[in-house]
Amino acid sequence: MLASNLSLNLVELGHFCAYLAMMVALLQGAAPIAAHYLRQPRLAQLSVNASAAVFMLTTIGGLSLVHAFVTSNFSVQYVATNSNSLLPIFYKVAALWGGHEGSLYLWVWILTLYTLIVGWRGRKQYPEHLPAILAVQGWLIVGFFGLILFLSNPFDRVFPAPPDGNDLNPLLQDPGMVFHPPMLYLGYVGFSVPFAFAMTALITRWRSELWIGLIRRWALIAWGFLTTGIILGGWWAYYELGWGGYWAWDPVENASFMPWLLGTALVHSITVQDHRRMLHTWNIFLVISTFSLSLLGTFLVRSGVLSSVHAFAVDPGRGAYILVFMTVVLAISFGIFMVKGRYQQAEEAITSFMSRESLFVWNNVLFTVACGSVLLATLYPLALDALSGQKITVAAQYFNAVMVPLFLALMLLMAVGPLVPWRKAKLDRLRSRLLWPFGIGIATAVAVILFFPPVHWTGPVAAGLALFAFSNLVIDFARAVSQRRAQLQEPLGRACYKTVLGNRRHYGGMTVHFGIVIIALGLTGSGLFRSEATVSMAPGDVVEVAGERLRFEGVRDLQGTNYQAIQGRLTLLNSGRVLLPERRLYMRQQAPMTETSIDSTMARDVYVVLAESSDRNKWAVHVYVNPLVRFIWSGGIIILLGILLSLSSFRRPRADKVAAAARPAR
Amino acid sequence: MPVLAAQVTEDPLERQMLEIAKDLRCTVCQNQPVSESNAELAQDMRSIIREQIKAGKTRDQIMNYFVERYGDYVLMKPRTSGAGTLIWLAPVILVIVVGASGFAFLRRRLRPTLPPPPPLSKQDAERVRAARRQGKT
Repeated sequence: MLASNLSLNLVELGHFCAYLAMMVALLQGAAPIAAHYLRQPRLAQLSVNASAAVFMLTTIGGLSLVHAFVTSNFSVQYVATNSNSLLPIFYKVAALWGGHEGSLYLWVWILTLYTLIVGWRGRKQYPEHLPAILAVQGWLIVGFFGLILFLSNPFDRVFPAPPDGNDLNPLLQDPGMVFHPPMLYLGYVGFSVPFAFAMTALITRWRSELWIGLIRRWALIAWGFLTTGIILGGWWAYYELGWGGYWAWDPVENASFMPWLLGTALVHSITVQDHRRMLHTWNIFLVISTFSLSLLGTFLVRSGVLSSVHAFAVDPGRGAYILVFMTVVLAISFGIFMVKGRYQQAEEAITSFMSRESLFVWNNVLFTVACGSVLLATLYPLALDALSGQKITVAAQYFNAVMVPLFLALMLLMAVGPLVPWRKAKLDRLRSRLLWPFGIGIATAVAVILFFPPVHWTGPVAAGLALFAFSNLVIDFARAVSQRRAQLQEPLGRACYKTVLGNRRHYGGMTVHFGIVIIALGLTGSGLFRSEATVSMAPGDVVEVAGERLRFEGVRDLQGTNYQAIQGRLTLLNSGRVLLPERRLYMRQQAPMTETSIDSTMARDVYVVLAESSDRNKWAVHVYVNPLVRFIWSGGIIILLGILLSLSSFRRPRADKVAAAARPAR
Repeated sequence: MPVLAAQVTEDPLERQMLEIAKDLRCTVCQNQPVSESNAELAQDMRSIIREQIKAGKTRDQIMNYFVERYGDYVLMKPRTSGAGTLIWLAPVILVIVVGASGFAFLRRRLRPTLPPPPPLSKQDAERVRAARRQGKT
């Protein structure tokens, strides 16, 4: 009883702290503005201290909610809707972001965390600009707290408290739920940091070489989280949803994919500004657009305007709030950009069309087109429905037709780009360097055509480009290592190691490219060469799909902590391994859920779903054989390692050198 | 457990049906094709497709049958005519517009490595010549 009383009071404490956090965030946003107009520069320091307080208060609020979930305090409406006393503790904590209110709270919690880190790092690195940066963050925090506290409050109470909770959506009772949303949000919200820097740069006319290094790091961190979040989401969808695929071009997936596309463009074009002092204005535009798309993604998912499997919250008031908030952020940021953008001028010119900076521009063109296409295709059916009442479906078939050629073109750029030097490339030298890799690519494409005769044209092209890019990566690295060995007489292992560590940013990027190549192979294999069969099986029956023979052994009943299940048993006759797909009926849920069972090797996944039984003895079984799916997840891990390698380069940014050079002169 | 393993194969009719159902949207579902949905409507649509295949109808005829009843909404891949035109044109327009902007940007910012030296004025040329003459003598 004592514990539950404590829990009751803690929620009120948390609720109070959340309001307080909003007030302090308001101060954080307003103090630098007041400091400017009242000509009291010391007032601006308030926002630095406020940012720490906002994080503390938001954390207390968040922890009180976690406590309410863990102690199953069903007097909290949100806990009662999204949890259950029988839910495993693992999911009780994750249920915090299992619904609308809690996901938004997680959003703002992460935002305050980023703000804290920016404030902490900024005291030494960029103290003059810190108040303005934190002010931008502060207003964003205020905006989101407004939505949380006034329209979707996770602290709301219900009286009388129900004896037990409603249970978490069974689709979400999965380890994927614990990692996917926080990763995605760390990515989404991470782009608010470059956004705050860009706004500050515009308002204070911060010199571009001073902020670019800072934005680069933050953009890379956000991009890394977003990429990880998207791949985790694909992995989760793959084994959870039971249709044998991992990406459905669902509008909610697109909502996370759009910031990813522009974020990828940003990560590349920042390099151009860093190395060649160009594209300043474009980079600021990209930063603002990427963050706007993060907001749009939140709007699309959280307002319920989409008809999609993810829209578990529908409430027009919230939708209107997010729409207005988004419009205000867009209007203010693009307004400032229009008025002040021209002060951020490029300093250097393009020397040749055949240069790395020019290829980066084409990279940006393609990513922008890809993002624009996804944006239009996601919004057009909504707009058409709203304006004329006409309904059309834009689904995977459309997106594959449009996006695959764009991605292939990007693969070509990715293969060639890193070999092309800055400023101007010597064509004959480039040609000789590309000759072998190109030959390998062509040979791969021909092999795909010969060995898998009826194949869609994208198959050989994608495989060929992947191998072309891969051999370029290998040869580039081998050349660097052999040069080092010739100069320093080092043993092979040491030379490899030193080469990578000597230029972490470059090899971090190349590792990411390698991960992309691996993913491209996985997508090609699983997208074009999937085999499937839907059969009705009695115990003892054998089915053969793409050379994999499976014997159905029968079913048995199973009792989980908060569900009942029927478990099928199939033996893979080629290897003797056993697959155990389930059909689960969760408490308080009517429809049965399918739990897939997957036997996975690098070469292929055998993916089995137990469907309904037609008569007493026979069960419908879906069997998919998906080649190379593991490549996708492995590629994701490689990308993550590449990002970590790139971020581990603590070379002092040029900003510091310039500042250090300027100091003695004073 | 039975000693003899009976090899079961997929009913070819079922595969034909699924190939068609893949490209039809389950209109009451959220972004799911008929082939993957467990909704009652999807099950009904699947059995209609089965019957129509048995009756010897072609894929196009079956698709049209559903479009007549549910409109273009039922098609997973939007048509290239009517309301779907724009959606197919959009990427093409984007490629042209953004591509042209990218090209224009590169053209505008394109400068040779060093500007070519401006021609010497008559006076300067005379000076240079004079200096050279002096240097020789």
